Amino acid sequence: MESKELNISPVGRVEGDLDVKVYMEGGVVTRAHTQAAMFRGFEKIMQGKDPQSGLIVTPRICGICGGSHLYCASSALDTAWKTQLSPNALLLRAIGQATETIQSIPRWFYAIFATDMANKKFASKPLYQEVVKRFAAYVGTSFQKGVTASGRPVEVYALFGGQWPHSSYMVPGGVMCAPTLKDITRAHAIMNQFRNDWLEPVWLGCSIERYLQVKSWDDLMAWVDENESQRNSDLGLFIRASLEFGLDTFGQGVGKYLAFGTYLHKDRYNRPTIEARNDALISAGGFYDGENYHALDHMQVSEHVQHTWFKDHAPLHPWEEPIPTPVETSTILTETDFDGKYSWSKSPRYMEHAAEAGPLSRVIMAANPANLEHQNRDPLFGDIMKEKGPSVFTRTLARMHEAPRIYEYINEWLGQIDLDAEFYIKPEERDGKGWGATEAARGALAHWIEIKNGVIENYQVVAPTTWNVGPNDGEGKPGPIEAALEGTEIEDAHDPVEVGMVARSFDSCLVCTVHAHDAKDEKELARFKL
Amino acid sequence: MINVLWLQGGACSGNTMSFLNAEEPTVVELVTDFGINILWHPSIGLEIGEQVSDLLKDCISKKIQLDILVFEGSIVQGPNGKGTMNYFADRPMMNWVKELSEVAQFTVAIGDCATWGGIPAVPPNPSESTGMQFLKKDKGGFLGADYKSQAGLPVINIPGCPAHPDWITQILVGIATGRAKDILLDDYHRPKTFFTDFVQAGCPNVNNFAQKVDGHFGKRGGCLFYEVGCRGPMTHASCNRILWNRQSSKTRANHPCLGCTEPGFPHHDLQKGSVFNTMKYLGVFPQDVPTGQSKLLYYARAGWEKVLPTNKELTVTSK
Repeated sequence: MESKELNISPVGRVEGDLDVKVYMEGGVVTRAHTQAAMFRGFEKIMQGKDPQSGLIVTPRICGICGGSHLYCASSALDTAWKTQLSPNALLLRAIGQATETIQSIPRWFYAIFATDMANKKFASKPLYQEVVKRFAAYVGTSFQKGVTASGRPVEVYALFGGQWPHSSYMVPGGVMCAPTLKDITRAHAIMNQFRNDWLEPVWLGCSIERYLQVKSWDDLMAWVDENESQRNSDLGLFIRASLEFGLDTFGQGVGKYLAFGTYLHKDRYNRPTIEARNDALISAGGFYDGENYHALDHMQVSEHVQHTWFKDHAPLHPWEEPIPTPVETSTILTETDFDGKYSWSKSPRYMEHAAEAGPLSRVIMAANPANLEHQNRDPLFGDIMKEKGPSVFTRTLARMHEAPRIYEYINEWLGQIDLDAEFYIKPEERDGKGWGATEAARGALAHWIEIKNGVIENYQVVAPTTWNVGPNDGEGKPGPIEAALEGTEIEDAHDPVEVGMVARSFDSCLVCTVHAHDAKDEKELARFKL
Repeated sequence: MINVLWLQGGACSGNTMSFLNAEEPTVVELVTDFGINILWHPSIGLEIGEQVSDLLKDCISKKIQLDILVFEGSIVQGPNGKGTMNYFADRPMMNWVKELSEVAQFTVAIGDCATWGGIPAVPPNPSESTGMQFLKKDKGGFLGADYKSQAGLPVINIPGCPAHPDWITQILVGIATGRAKDILLDDYHRPKTFFTDFVQAGCPNVNNFAQKVDGHFGKRGGCLFYEVGCRGPMTHASCNRILWNRQSSKTRANHPCLGCTEPGFPHHDLQKGSVFNTMKYLGVFPQDVPTGQSKLLYYARAGWEKVLPTNKELTVTSK
């Protein structure tokens, strides 16, 4: 059987520098390696600096998830400094987190993901012409509407944070802003425009309320066929075309899912502690091992560096980890020894398992029957995982499914802000350890901090892309994207669009971590075109 | 048609995200109405793998005319000047930048990382990052103090963390509509049309600044200069004139200006006590005073206003 290797550098449209090396036999990927190709050393920069440095520095780790980093940085200080948070502060932080996430939904779908559905690989399929008409880059009718609409929710972020990206308005003890009546009313109006311009007419083809009645895979299929409006909506087209194009048949992954959860309830987290966080979450966290749900415990996180271009240490919990020290052996994809170190990303593990982070993990947690009354309870993806299992399609559907619910949350929270009550309670600085976590658009994000003698002694960030794009761990177990690529059938080795679709279905954000390459022999390299 | 190539080095994509928020024109309009041809962009480019490296080589060999090279992110030179902490298309990114900048008609650095090194270049600068033509306030940077693009201009610096989308799109439109000669640069190579005035111009709290009424987090009214480190009076930028995301600015949302369009950002290199806190001289006087004013004179005037405020009603605000 013919064996070959492909080296893809850069993969592109994954936000950052990803290279991938895939080994194929008979057109099927047998093994894959992801390589994160850029290093900046933010954790090292913060060491010895002001305890609040994370508020300025960490949003700049990633300009796409900057608000999520800010959420973690302020939460980590809240737990270390034992602050008090008013309901208003919790609401305004949740609104910031939610508007950043909902912004990412159309921006990611049209600009990053759906353009690949217009790839010539699918040209023989009956729905191809319609897909090209709507989803082709720049000229697609929905591409333009979706990318333009994506700028609306972050206008709401700007009303409270001054700007998006890169505000630092969340601080230990609350938020800086003290919104006025006009800020709240404008925010409602902007969100209405987002719904009226894109979410309902273009994406759903029905009201939010109608869509949220979908509780099972069968319901969803019935929803598609219910009327022309739903069938021809972008969601309807995406579902029909995905099944026709076979996007539900590849990109399975490791089958284990991690979410840290987010949106802390305004009345349940006024004295933040790590222990009380789980029950205060509105979007629940947890670990799903493929059969059972486990309550979230951040002490189960460890990071491996055996295949990372950092000085070796045993797998350690982030509070115990040293600040990473680069080794001088980074190499290009084609010359990399994949038995040794091959990426700037670490390999985080939960209970020693590689785990997928992202919207699919979140919607699986929403289907946990043990969720509390105030938490998001949505059985849909429990059923879809049973009926269809994970795939490029399921993962993408999960990401898009979140938009209507998040929209409703934002309006609800705006309505709860009390303009006469406190927004900030000045905390007292102290030494100690803290942990802050959230769900960035791309998944589980957390910061661990230790403050000693009034400055940062240790700061460790584990980003969603670290979970997804990390290399093999110390035992040789692959990371989620590496695993998801295995078994993928590549129709044309000269246009391996399938590799790109798998990587992009995770919405990898490599500016946080990574770069992936593929390796090929000289002859193949010279001919290789994507 | 103007060919634009956009690359990212030690970047966070924040400037790309800001660019995608552009309004007049939108990114789509930039392409459809102004003849801007985006040869490639890491987030919205269609090509991958060798298609990208072939494109870069065609620009370097002048087979494709490179009108504008846009660079986002710091130039990563580590470790030990080799640049291998940032590979791109099988080479250190800094090598691509060197060769592409030699053929580009215009070279544009977008955001603090590309202009002066930004956060990655804060000591101890683990990635040996620098800006295109400056490292913090020092001229030189990666391309050297004497660098000029084919059109005869040094690197056009559009700083900010991130840069406002208008600052980016208007410069691209300026070049596309034949107005390159109107792009006047200041000492830090910033287009004067955006970076002559201070952030304070247009700030709704400017009266409170004049009367030394102190502002704090979580409450309306007052000026954030005295206690929580606002740098509005010494930061050149138009944030309070063109607004962000159509709605607001940092200081309008009661967020102190961080001075991100100045080459010192983050100021005081994040040392203890410098974050959201006004660094003091003799425990009382602000260490940094409004640009262009003598410290002594400023302290004297400020003391007078503080002791004898002329209009206490200024602190009253309405929800």
